[in-house]
Amino acid sequence: MNRSWRDLVAVAVVAILVLLPLFGSAFFVEFVMTRTVILGLAASSIVFLSAYGGMVSLAQLLLFGIAGFMVGNAVGEAGSKGLKLGWNAWVAVVFALAVTVAVAALLGALSARTAGIYFLMLTLTYAVIGYYFFGQVTTFSGFGGITGIDAPPWFEGHPVRLYYVCVVLSVVTYVGLRLLVRSPFGMALQGVRDDPVRMASLGFNVALHRTLAFTFAGFIAGVAGVLNIWWNGQIDPTSISIGPTLDLLIIAVIGGIVHLEGAWLGAFVYVMANNYMRNLPFADTIGLTEARFNTVVGLLVLLIMLLSPDGLVGVILRIRTAATGLRGDGGSTSDDASDHQIATADGGPKGPPVPTHTREGSIR
Amino acid sequence: MTTEVTTPTSIEAADHVVRLRSIGVAFGGLRALDGIDLDVAPGERLAVLGPNGAGKTTLFNVIAGDIRPTTGSVVLCGRDCSHLPSHARPALGVARTYQKTRLFSNLTVEDNLYLAQTGRQRRHLALFVSERDRSLRERAREVAHRVWLGPMVDATVDGLSHGQRRQLEIGMALAAEPDIMLLDEPASGLSRGERERLSELIEALDPAITLLLIEHDMDVALRVADRVVVMADGIIIARGNPDEIRSNTLVHEVYLGREGGR
Repeated sequence: MNRSWRDLVAVAVVAILVLLPLFGSAFFVEFVMTRTVILGLAASSIVFLSAYGGMVSLAQLLLFGIAGFMVGNAVGEAGSKGLKLGWNAWVAVVFALAVTVAVAALLGALSARTAGIYFLMLTLTYAVIGYYFFGQVTTFSGFGGITGIDAPPWFEGHPVRLYYVCVVLSVVTYVGLRLLVRSPFGMALQGVRDDPVRMASLGFNVALHRTLAFTFAGFIAGVAGVLNIWWNGQIDPTSISIGPTLDLLIIAVIGGIVHLEGAWLGAFVYVMANNYMRNLPFADTIGLTEARFNTVVGLLVLLIMLLSPDGLVGVILRIRTAATGLRGDGGSTSDDASDHQIATADGGPKGPPVPTHTREGSIR
Repeated sequence: MTTEVTTPTSIEAADHVVRLRSIGVAFGGLRALDGIDLDVAPGERLAVLGPNGAGKTTLFNVIAGDIRPTTGSVVLCGRDCSHLPSHARPALGVARTYQKTRLFSNLTVEDNLYLAQTGRQRRHLALFVSERDRSLRERAREVAHRVWLGPMVDATVDGLSHGQRRQLEIGMALAAEPDIMLLDEPASGLSRGERERLSELIEALDPAITLLLIEHDMDVALRVADRVVVMADGIIIARGNPDEIRSNTLVHEVYLGREGGR
């Protein structure tokens, strides 16, 4: 894949997303695709941390949830659960993102000295703590959650506006992250991913870089969390429990955890499977009902892990490489080689990312 | 993390850039280093010899800050660095290479050499590429040429051979423009021709750079060094100029004898 081809695909996808409300059904746009884009944005924070920072985080859905709970507490009025502050919706957004970023900075600093499996376990612990915190501290929520949260009045009666806001923020995030990873900070982050010990001996404060990356990813997850609460109107601790936490990681893995695009592609496949699986031909005869959703997603993840560790994006890249090879015959070898190199330079260990990164654990 | 630095008198600072006093490092029951005293003068070329397990790399780790000594003090350029973390030491002019290459395997040669400079240039946290980055990348390409990696400058480290990785290791130290350079077995795994080139490269270094070199290859080590220390079992067993070391019987016994005096 060369860069112009990648940009072309990205532009085409954005064009389709922008034009979608003209020909898609209201249900498809306002329900399926809005949810896809929100989950994709949240998953992009996992992919960013994993692909460029070597940190596989299970705390992203917690941060997504914290933003949602904070919006709920801030805008709620008499009768609802939580703090019932009754603030202006936009003030609530600033408040929610500030709290989310502060929590992300704290959690990031606590886990900055761990790597590989230990980082994964620590972030899983955060997720579990978060679930019980919002479940048991009824001042902020309780297990019943907060309901009846309204999006700002500008969205009222115009669900398609929310869809467009989600698309715009996703595009900004995607472009922003791609620029960020080439910046001095992004280069340093990739150095930390590949060899933290070397980075320290070159004069980089590795823990600070990890903390800042985690904080920034927390901000992205928080933005997605705010959009989610506007879209959903309610939030409860079950929505950030271990099941959904793993689902977000699964979305990233399906799409391809070493490619940023994979976050949104994975979210699309996940949401489509969730909504339309039973419409597949013969789905009923082989017992594919909603109750089998997790089985199907599990099988899909198994296939991805065995056949294409860099997810569906990896599948697309391989098809593209094969197609170029067929068209160009013998002359295409150099093209293939450059494809390969750009793909790796762009952040991709070719194998599954987790084993590569656990290497760091042995360094300490 | 403590980063405070105490500044001893500047008179002391003038005659040495590295001063180690009674350095001890214990890994559990194993004493990897025991009571090491060592002064290195500015611009000196010091070779550290010794059999495997003598504590040479541990000594480098102590100077570079990768390991905190159990006892003793490390003074670099007149500043007590005993408690300074490794990431704060490049600011004092320290750069090191690793015996087992530690490179950024998914990044290109240019990216690696760029990062080697930004550590000291305080550009870690910049969010935008500036003119300064472009000039650092320009320099990265120059350094790549100096270590014969010019044609490979856009290749990822994954695609380099062992010898090329060793060249890049040295490039990483060169790119940092250090005052104190620690080279940990730069010639290991290189062919005879590559060792020859390496010796030339080291000899051609700016004479102002203080060089500490761990090397198994006696030819390389004794050719480039002004002074040699020989270590065994965590202590320094001999010091002297290359000629004295060649004729030292104790050194022959513990090192040259066993290593076959290549």
